[in-house]
Amino acid sequence: MALSRSDTSIRCSAEAAKVFVDWYYQSINEGRPVAGAYVTNNATYRTAGHPPSDICANGLVVATPEEWDKMLAQQRFIPASASTTAAAASASSRSPPLAVNYDVECYDVHAINPDFRFAAPPALLTDGKAHGSGESNGAGVRMMMMVSVSGTVTFGLDKDAPKQHFSDIFILVPNWDVIAKHGSRSTRRYIVASQTYRAY
Amino acid sequence: MRQTETFSLILCSTSPFTSLPLQPPPTVIWNFSPQPTSTSTYNSAILDCQQKHTTKLDRISPQGRQRICNSQRVVNGRGLGEKHHPPSFRYFISSLRIMAPPTGPRGSTRRSASAPRGSRGGGISKRRATTKTDRDGDVAMDAPLAGGANGNPVRGGVTRGGRGSRSGRDSVTRSTRGSSRIAESIRNYGSDPGRASKANFNRAILKVHGLRDSKAASNPDGGRRGLLDFLQRKAKTVTIGKNVVDGDFVWISVKKDDASDVLRLSGFTYAGAVLTITETDEKMPNPEVERMSQSALELKKNMTAVLAKRYDAEQRLLDLSALGADNTLVGMGTFDSQSTAQKAFQVLMQIVGLQYKRPDEKKEALQAVSLARNDIVDVEQVFTLANALPDLKRLDLSGNNIETLSKMSKWRYRFKHLEELHLTGNPITSQPNYVLELLQWFPSLQNLNGQQVRSMEEVAASLKALEPTPIPQFPSNLRDGNNNIAPQFLQAFFALFDTDRARLAAEFYDDDSMFSLAVIPNSGRNLPWRSYMKFSRNIHNFNSRNPQLLQRLFSGGSQIADLWKALPATRHPSIEQTDQWLVDGHTFSNLADPSGQGESAMGLIIIVNGRFEEADTATNTFGTRTFTRTFVLGPSKPGNPPPQHVYRVISDQMTLHDWTASPPPATPPQLTVESQAPIPTVPIHPIISPIPVPSPPVGALVPDGNMKAQLIQELSKLTGMTLEYSELCLSGAANWNFDLALQAFEEQKPNLPSTAFVSAV
Repeated sequence: MALSRSDTSIRCSAEAAKVFVDWYYQSINEGRPVAGAYVTNNATYRTAGHPPSDICANGLVVATPEEWDKMLAQQRFIPASASTTAAAASASSRSPPLAVNYDVECYDVHAINPDFRFAAPPALLTDGKAHGSGESNGAGVRMMMMVSVSGTVTFGLDKDAPKQHFSDIFILVPNWDVIAKHGSRSTRRYIVASQTYRAY
Repeated sequence: MRQTETFSLILCSTSPFTSLPLQPPPTVIWNFSPQPTSTSTYNSAILDCQQKHTTKLDRISPQGRQRICNSQRVVNGRGLGEKHHPPSFRYFISSLRIMAPPTGPRGSTRRSASAPRGSRGGGISKRRATTKTDRDGDVAMDAPLAGGANGNPVRGGVTRGGRGSRSGRDSVTRSTRGSSRIAESIRNYGSDPGRASKANFNRAILKVHGLRDSKAASNPDGGRRGLLDFLQRKAKTVTIGKNVVDGDFVWISVKKDDASDVLRLSGFTYAGAVLTITETDEKMPNPEVERMSQSALELKKNMTAVLAKRYDAEQRLLDLSALGADNTLVGMGTFDSQSTAQKAFQVLMQIVGLQYKRPDEKKEALQAVSLARNDIVDVEQVFTLANALPDLKRLDLSGNNIETLSKMSKWRYRFKHLEELHLTGNPITSQPNYVLELLQWFPSLQNLNGQQVRSMEEVAASLKALEPTPIPQFPSNLRDGNNNIAPQFLQAFFALFDTDRARLAAEFYDDDSMFSLAVIPNSGRNLPWRSYMKFSRNIHNFNSRNPQLLQRLFSGGSQIADLWKALPATRHPSIEQTDQWLVDGHTFSNLADPSGQGESAMGLIIIVNGRFEEADTATNTFGTRTFTRTFVLGPSKPGNPPPQHVYRVISDQMTLHDWTASPPPATPPQLTVESQAPIPTVPIHPIISPIPVPSPPVGALVPDGNMKAQLIQELSKLTGMTLEYSELCLSGAANWNFDLALQAFEEQKPNLPSTAFVSAV
């Protein structure tokens, strides 16, 4: 096996994928925006001239991560909840639980470029001459990864609420701002360069 | 809409259904005897009670109620309270408290893990004693009638031994706490069967025969404990979980892995009897039912009789109107207090639930309930109806005392399918706007107090408004830089994957290529997963130290080819069958340059959602699977051996999911494999998807400007219409629903002027 796909990068990619997938679906299930996790909104990538994140949802190209957040919010929206009148609101003050739930059942990851260099801080590129050799500084960090996630999305709170299968394919790249900062505990070590979503 | 047909039928014939006379059901649908046991002493006691006592706490003045409560508090010391408690009440108290297993009075029965009651201080021996009393037959019941107020000589003598002096006080204390005991027994009664029915797939159920014939059978607990200890001792490490004595058998539950250890003991001799142990698929008999005391069974029987009497099979109506006038219920002491009445209602609902094995049976057989004339002030009092019969279609609450909407709010957004509601005779009907409010609370409501309040269309719309709307489905979106690489690759790939995987791996994969597969086994209903399971790299289930993380990532063409050889044979549909595939993808930058010269190389990611037929000769199974397969293509390495393509597969991930609910593709992709320049043409393939799909409904998500522009583009591409006409088509009746727009186009095509099409411009 070539050094460039050392055990390190395999293990690290698995860990990174886990952190990302956990964070991402918890966020959208709880209705929190995820736009911050896209390359489009990362100053380092933007100033280096990286194209915006490619987001494609059910065959529709979504221009910005913010718009994707909007689509998710629109998807969560229950028309009936908007027409609640004052009397009804006083009868039940607690806010209704969010009605769209993504249940991740499966994911897998490959480090498709274990020697990712775009916009990398020089400190992370030193010792990296031997293209992603296991000993290099960037091993298990300077990775471009392809993560494929599958599961079930439920629309509504009923037991018999409609369900769809979803597949979400991400290309993740390092978030240099977090990685370069030594000891940073931020979980957003990788950000989305591409997302292709399908639910059917 | 089947429901609405039923609805209108019922509407014509029976509305309002409260006026219907109470009829005995023509056939008994309840699964057990509709009549209480006619000869038991108990019944004579009940009858006796009914004659002697008709006062109900609900029906008497607040002052009167207060007086009774006060007197109850006072009597904790002495037996004065007796005169306020009708014999029926006392029967309840004495019988309901006897809920211990009907097993012998001595010995170590308390060790059973599933004993139904928690112990109450030093009451253990007392409880056992009362059990005995119960078994001795009717002692408890006769007592209040024959024995008078204070104490019970028979009971005291037989069961309490030296503590007879306390018996008088005991009985009084019990009396005053009676209603909470009823509640307790009712609550326990209700919750137990649910607990018992939980299935556990990791456990094996074994039946042990022979205990009856052993010497241990004469032990106080029938020898059960001894037998269990024996089994556990002999089988060493085995822990026996739930266990039930049922007839000649002792049923035990053990871990599946331990089952063989216990089964090995079959043929062993225990206390002089040979044991026979067999594994069974049957469900363990419900220990709670078995242990349900005589009195609880009586209670159930009576409640069931009440229900049977009040069920009208023809109307599918459960008439629970004027329960306060029901002699059986009154006789049982159901209405002795507000809380007892509520709890009794809960039990009624519980028993209703038990009548039907499946929810749909219940839904079918019980569509209407009348709770008319029950002095209901707040629906909270009868809230459990919403849990027991969530699919109710007609509900009569007329003649109650519901004053405001807030007294109905507990049922808000319950009864999603409620079509008819009667509130006549409640103060709420004089409230302004209550109709509007109720229409929102009950999305299917069409008929309120006999008035049509909503049309069927409006019902459909309001039901729709309760659910979120999935992101609409669009055709394949493949942006591969106009060089047609993706269609050519996919066509070659799936043809070779079905026929010659070794060659496929050699052609498109090199030493650095990666492949892994992952399965979602629980989604599969058609085919077994065995052939894939051992290769499944579902990181969701792995921790990062799991060696399979490495072992199940296959890299290098030859390793991948070896794995593919081990996978079942497949047949994918032709890539030209565009309605069978959903293909998305785009180019991206920053892959490693294989030549080592530049900074980075371009890549192409292709995501395929589709399905294939599978023939697994190993397990001799055939069927269809759905899958998602993602390829990352990048430039070939210069030194790769021939046959060389300009690109290679860097990464190939396959997810198998066997999704049958609404199989892909949702909409036909416009993938073309023509080698000529891709000129937008009207596709030959049927445009309207043959599969009913959750396509964007009318009035759903209306796309904004950007989405609209894309939709217009798509439609223009598919139909050959100009952008202007495409926009007209989408913005018209289709209301930006892509499928509807396509449909409209197909219908209107002959009428369109030639200027509508791009080619004509």
